[in-house]
Amino acid sequence: MLIGGGVPSALTGFSASSAVTAERPVVRWALIGVAIVFLGLFLVIPLIAVFLQAFEKGIAAYFRALLDPDTQSAVRLTLLVAAVAVPLNTVFGVVAAWAITKFEFAGKNALITLIDLPFSISPVVAGLVFVFLFGRQGWLGPWLEAHGVRVIFAVPGMVLATVFVTFPFVARELIPLMKAQGTEEEEAARLLGASGWQTFWRVTLPNIKWGLLYGIVLCNGRAMGEFGAVSVVSGHVRGQTNTIPLHVEILYNEYNVAAAFAVASLLATLALATLALKSLLEWKVARQLAETDAKP
Amino acid sequence: MSIVVENISKTFGQFVALRNVSLSVARGELIALLGPSGSGKTTLLRIMAGLEKPDPGSGPIRFEDEDVASRNPQVRHVGFVFQHYALFRHMTVAENVAFGLRVRPRRLRPSRSEIRQRVQKLLKLVQLDAFANRYPSQLSGGQRQRVALARALAIEPKVLLLDEPFGALDAKVRMELRQWLRRLHDEIHVTSVFVTHDQDEALELADRVVVMNQGRIEQIGTPDEVFHSPATEFVTTFLGQVNLFHGRVENGKVHFATLAWDSPEHAAMPSQPVRVFVRPHDFHVASHRNGAPAFRATVRRVHSAGPNARLELVAESGESLWVEMPLDVCRARNIVQGSPVFLTPRDVKVFAESPH
Repeated sequence: MLIGGGVPSALTGFSASSAVTAERPVVRWALIGVAIVFLGLFLVIPLIAVFLQAFEKGIAAYFRALLDPDTQSAVRLTLLVAAVAVPLNTVFGVVAAWAITKFEFAGKNALITLIDLPFSISPVVAGLVFVFLFGRQGWLGPWLEAHGVRVIFAVPGMVLATVFVTFPFVARELIPLMKAQGTEEEEAARLLGASGWQTFWRVTLPNIKWGLLYGIVLCNGRAMGEFGAVSVVSGHVRGQTNTIPLHVEILYNEYNVAAAFAVASLLATLALATLALKSLLEWKVARQLAETDAKP
Repeated sequence: MSIVVENISKTFGQFVALRNVSLSVARGELIALLGPSGSGKTTLLRIMAGLEKPDPGSGPIRFEDEDVASRNPQVRHVGFVFQHYALFRHMTVAENVAFGLRVRPRRLRPSRSEIRQRVQKLLKLVQLDAFANRYPSQLSGGQRQRVALARALAIEPKVLLLDEPFGALDAKVRMELRQWLRRLHDEIHVTSVFVTHDQDEALELADRVVVMNQGRIEQIGTPDEVFHSPATEFVTTFLGQVNLFHGRVENGKVHFATLAWDSPEHAAMPSQPVRVFVRPHDFHVASHRNGAPAFRATVRRVHSAGPNARLELVAESGESLWVEMPLDVCRARNIVQGSPVFLTPRDVKVFAESPH
């Protein structure tokens, strides 16, 4: 009995390793080995070192370092900076991605390029720009001083620098996702009588929520960890304008290695948490995109 | 609700999508906008819905007697069905259908239980009541399109606009859904306009067909009219297959192939070169001259798989052409490869040679 011309024998020829990657085992293991050694050398060992150093003088010393008032102040300031910068950039990112993907307008490409600027510019330069703008000798400095507002070497400047540096994360994450999803669902919503606001909350936002969270997590990671730009505008006043990364540097420069690493371990933990969240969200985003592609 | 658009033009950058298009759709009518891609049919539909703005200087867009040209889609109250369904992917089927009711301002919004009932009724209408809690990604293409239709009908639109509604479906589902849509339209009688590039779909489904080309309307008529009395060369060639001959009109006679065809309707036409079109099924095929005006051709190939025989021929004057005839007649007359035959056209369409 032969129906439909028989099954091509090639279809049954799949085995555990496909022909394309049929390298000799030696080569395979050598390549994998190189990758593992490299990862271990540059990522895993440093990470372990951070925690080993942090606990070098015992758990008590570790917690003493963390509970030190200056450290506490640095933690609070870091949280404050992130609490301002992340929501601001979330709103900005959503608005920018929305505008870029759902509308046609002149200067669109210029806007896309501008969004990337903070990625391509050195954070130190970014910090200096703010000093130039708001510093005592800067453009707006004298006016601000006359009105009793202090930006540089104070918290507002640090927030500004962080906002600048973390500007692209949310928008960058959303633009490809929203581009792939197109505008038809929004059009459908409008035609069904939804207002612009209803369309955004009920249709657009649910469609991008995982991508948005992903962008927020990355943005937050960078906002809390930023060193360069913040360092330029901070002035390093202990207990006042020190964020965690800056505080780590000060402790280290004072040869207080154990305390430096103890505080650094906070950042390392933040990094690990960010990484874990990122993987989870990446998986969710992939699923959201897969559903987009599932449209036949 | 009737729809009237007048002198609508639309350009996208350099591209002219619509040039001065006017059209009126009667209440309860089912109209097809038919044309190749780039003919402007989807643009016209989107302008009716309010998804595109016509160029400044365009005329009004009237729903019944109201000019809605300046209104945004949110308040036009049209049901719109997209080619790729555009279902809300994060909502269930029932939530999709309920959307248009739930977003209404509170004073116009039906109660929860009322919404639930209406959704159920609509899902029954599109035969998907068992799928209320599924997500769009769990449905087949045909099912998704029916959800899209139920969602569009939920707001009780006075006008239903469908953009290539069957374009993304495979042939069999497409056929079923087409017949189903026609029955549905006969049942609920909402004024409907659908866009298609598939002539069979337009001819089978629509009360009237609007044939479009390069941003213009070529002809508006019933399927019978546009097929049998095409107004332009484009309509002739776009609807079904057709053989082309280059000929001349002289004194009420059309000369083409080796034939002088009496054509009283072209008596008034000045002598000039013309293009002559004859559909493959509009030939009488004889194996011998029988007194009727005919031209001679030789059979190159016979394709006999199907209800009709399709003959590939070369006319004595050199043109290649296709002719279709019932298979049994073809066999009875013993027409095979190499047979000489005599072709008498039953119906010819003649258009002046110069481009319009």
